[in-house]
Amino acid sequence: MHTTMETPATTTNLLHPSKRLRQRYRAERWFKRLGLLAIVLSLAFIAFLFFSIFSDGYTAFKQSYIALDVNFAAEEFTQAKLAHANFPGLVKKAMHSMFPEVDSRRGKKELESLVSPSAAYKLQDMVEEDPKIIGTTQKVWVLAGDDVDMLLKGKIDRKEKQSNRRLKDNQLAWIDRLISDKKLEQKFNWNFFTAGDSREPELAGIWGAVKGSFLTLLITLTLSFPIGVASAVYLEEFAPENKWTDLIEININNLAAVPSIIFGLLGLAIFINFWGLPRSTPIVGGLVLSLMTLPTIIIAGRASLKSVPPSIREAALGVGASKMQTVIHHVLPLAMPGMLTGTIIGMAQALGETAPLLMIGMVAFIVDIPGSITDPAAVLPVQIYLWADSPERAFTEKTSAAIMILLTFLVFMNSLAVYLRKKFETKW
Amino acid sequence: MKVTSILAAGALTLAITAPAMAARDYISIVGSSTVYPFATVVAEQFGKTTGSKTPKIESTGSGGGFKLFCGGVGVNFPDITNASRAIKPSEMKTCAENGVKDIIEVKIGYDGIVLANAKSAAPLQLTRKDIFLALAKDVPDPANPEKIIANPYKTWKEVNSSLPATKIEVLGPPPTSGTRDAFVELVMDAGCETFPSIKAMKKSDEKAFKAVCQTVREDGGYVEAGENDNLIVQKLQANPDAVGIFGFSFLDQNTDVIQGSIIEGEKPTFEEIAKGTYPVSRPLFFYVKKAHVDVIPGMKGYLAEFASEKAWGQDGYLADKGMIPMPQDERKKYGEVISSLKTMEMK
Amino acid sequence: MELTSNQTHPAFPTLLSGAVHQESEQTRSQAYTTGRKTVGTPFVDKPRMTCRDVEVYYGEKCAINKISIDVGCNEVLAMIGPSGCGKSTFLRCLNRMNDTVPSCRVVGSICLDETDIYHPSVDVVPLRAQVGMVFQKPNPFPKSIYDNVAYGPRIHGLTKNKVELDEIVETSLIKAGLWEEVKDRLLEPGTGLSGGQQQRLCIARAIAVSPEVILMDEPCSALDPIATARVEELIAELRTQFSIVIVTHAMQQAARVSQRTAYFHLGDLIEVGATDKIFTNPKHRLTEDYITGRFG
Ligand SMILES: Nc1ncnc2c1ncn2[C@@H]1O[C@H](COP(=O)(O)OP(=O)(O)O)[C@@H](O)[C@H]1O
Ligand SMILES: [Mg+2]
Repeated sequence: MHTTMETPATTTNLLHPSKRLRQRYRAERWFKRLGLLAIVLSLAFIAFLFFSIFSDGYTAFKQSYIALDVNFAAEEFTQAKLAHANFPGLVKKAMHSMFPEVDSRRGKKELESLVSPSAAYKLQDMVEEDPKIIGTTQKVWVLAGDDVDMLLKGKIDRKEKQSNRRLKDNQLAWIDRLISDKKLEQKFNWNFFTAGDSREPELAGIWGAVKGSFLTLLITLTLSFPIGVASAVYLEEFAPENKWTDLIEININNLAAVPSIIFGLLGLAIFINFWGLPRSTPIVGGLVLSLMTLPTIIIAGRASLKSVPPSIREAALGVGASKMQTVIHHVLPLAMPGMLTGTIIGMAQALGETAPLLMIGMVAFIVDIPGSITDPAAVLPVQIYLWADSPERAFTEKTSAAIMILLTFLVFMNSLAVYLRKKFETKW
Repeated sequence: MKVTSILAAGALTLAITAPAMAARDYISIVGSSTVYPFATVVAEQFGKTTGSKTPKIESTGSGGGFKLFCGGVGVNFPDITNASRAIKPSEMKTCAENGVKDIIEVKIGYDGIVLANAKSAAPLQLTRKDIFLALAKDVPDPANPEKIIANPYKTWKEVNSSLPATKIEVLGPPPTSGTRDAFVELVMDAGCETFPSIKAMKKSDEKAFKAVCQTVREDGGYVEAGENDNLIVQKLQANPDAVGIFGFSFLDQNTDVIQGSIIEGEKPTFEEIAKGTYPVSRPLFFYVKKAHVDVIPGMKGYLAEFASEKAWGQDGYLADKGMIPMPQDERKKYGEVISSLKTMEMK
Repeated sequence: MELTSNQTHPAFPTLLSGAVHQESEQTRSQAYTTGRKTVGTPFVDKPRMTCRDVEVYYGEKCAINKISIDVGCNEVLAMIGPSGCGKSTFLRCLNRMNDTVPSCRVVGSICLDETDIYHPSVDVVPLRAQVGMVFQKPNPFPKSIYDNVAYGPRIHGLTKNKVELDEIVETSLIKAGLWEEVKDRLLEPGTGLSGGQQQRLCIARAIAVSPEVILMDEPCSALDPIATARVEELIAELRTQFSIVIVTHAMQQAARVSQRTAYFHLGDLIEVGATDKIFTNPKHRLTEDYITGRFG
């Protein structure tokens, strides 16, 4: 009797959880929901960021070109040097011949402004490359001015009052005629990937900054990786445990939290003012960024050395390997993926840094593509910063496009870090 | 062993770079962010047409530029510094102390400082007195102009009954910027001096005068918007009540979304500023180290490009970029300074 | 009061008196079992290793308290005792594995063939080649089976060419009874083997450098009964060439594989004797308690 009473009681308990249990589940559900909400929110922000950058920036990959029939008349090239010829004049003449009805001085000037000032450089390059074209008439696609480009990309409103528009009504009419004559077209903007900075938005390219970033990171990597790994190995495997090593450890952790601009100040004082290295160059930038990434690499390196199971060390020592052999043959290879991950993340941080570079003069207008680590160079985030600060409207899309490229590099580097970790972590 | 070889490689990289600092084959320019958009165009033009290396230009602000420029003579120091104000005596002194004795001063043109708001709002008609009253930290008591009180004005209408009843909200440059210096000097000081009692103070107690006239309010009426003028333009579009302060070139590039406020009856247009009738404009300069002219390749070419009519002339490409050209005779004067490399007198 | 120490090693007259004595005095007052005399037969004729008055400290803490024992040639010496009594600590003294623990300090003398292994001029690298070690948890290197075995010979430069190395790898694997199972996949990772195979691989790795003594710290505790039986067989075979010291928790195992058994208790060596004697007729009460399962 007694037992039969109890059995149903327990069943009900199992089927109907007690109040306490229900509360526990409720709390659990809430916690899950909050976590999910946080993730969804942050994803939404990222999606919004990517969307706004992409929608602003994708147009930068196309650029407007105007077809000119340029007459490289022989009488224009009487000077001793080809470079001294009046190339802007050739461009102007070609424009005038397309619209012979424009005769006022002001009208001509407005007409000329439809073509980018870079058109003259292009003609100069053509002649210097092949002087035989002198005396002929060539059809040349030259860059259109940034205002024309903005109009074609829908970023200048035709309905706006004439006085508020950067293109006047007569200019709009010419542009329409050029379009219907198929002499004004948007083409893929190769120039953006091959050129350096420029004050003409249509001419500005990202290659100088990409190369600058590459050279800078190369220095950073060649310095901070070996030094970081060596320090991590020394501190983790060889250093005696005492006050000094504790102090060093604390300081390394502190360094990782020091605002990056401080490293810039340090770099200015030591590398430029004391060592006399040239300002604005990847060598100095790389040195400064090495200082900044070293703590990251050392900390990541020590963490991954710590995570190597002690049994591996014992195994190596047990067959008579020396401490050094144990570390180099066994511990280091196992810790390497972790160290590489730390290094890549440090590099990605360094890639996105502008503040310390400001102090050492890398935030600068640099047109020439850097050829070596001692040439002046800008880096990607600096290029973004400079373009974002330029008055010309057309730089907005270049800024977004440059951000897209920087993000691509960052995503690539971080995926590489994840890949390395995934690939090697299940080895034992 | 591997580690040591990698370390050695690192040390080697450092060693290789050491000789590279001996010479510099490009011009190094620093200085004002206001002059930066103009100097860069000239530099690019110079680089692209002559085949010389394109000068490197850092935007450090006028003060920062002088600091670097006056650091000394030699390849580690810049050749030219741009400035949106004339060099100060104290800076001349630093220069001289560091051996920078022969400096060539070149005025290149003018820049208007404009107040602007979004196209969606009505244009403002301001006087410099209005602006002073709206933005100073302390102002004369309207009841008793002898007495200085904390700025009580919340709306433009309270400042001047002909102005709209919108909240005073001005986005402007931070104190590190040359635009801010010029704004304080050209607008705030001038507006301040319209009060006879304060004007009298200028003679008797210059410190107090400066404290009243040049201190900008910190209660939210004036918002320091950083050095990025594009950001100010965007914020103005978003907030029709706000007014922004920046260089003319930004107004020039954005006439479809913002409009310049009329100051003392003058519109901030290219023509008015060039004529000199628009009251808030300032000269722009660059300073050249004479000792570098013959040492760094391309210096003369760059200076010549800057002083050519096609650059700083009436219809030159700098005017297209929003710089206000100097009148003919001034251009001639500074053209000669450049061709003769005439240095400033050291005081 | 004094522990039995029939001989004092001539290399360490000073270490055995003076400073060390004071310290052991102090620690002894804390430990509640002190001064126990080892009963049975700790010493043998023609020993391979001789340990005299060995004390081990972790910092201030005394983990081994004046132990003297010999390891004979071609014998399997089993060490048993409750957890934490210092078996591993003592075992690790025999190839100076304890050097890796910074706080660990060893006093007394341990000789391998007349050489004091703690003598300052002794290099641990050749020592560990002569006194190999197999650990509780199989710990093959995350490398190929071949490289696991070849690692020791390589770093000690035991071979002149690949053919010799191949030979060593093969004979070691044969001796470890693993050859038939892995000969077709020598280049596959050693970590891919089963637990028992891994442990035999570790044994192969240890014998590849032809040691004189092999230390085994509970080599079967992570293995299933079949793998355990396999390793036990192996130990029996290896005895013909090596001296083996094995720590074990399983008394049956000690009984099966060893010739002599040492019973440790809280840092003291209580009793040493021929295995069959110890298990059938322990002399000391603590030993008896332990093997009859009254505690431990
Ligand atoms: N690295 C160490 N640091 C400090 N004390 C240790 C260390 N290793 C072992 N000990 C201590 O030494 C004593 C003996 O341990 P151990 O030799 O591992 O015992 P067993 O192997 O017999 O179980 C234990 O009290 C243990 O806490
Ligand atoms: Mg143990």
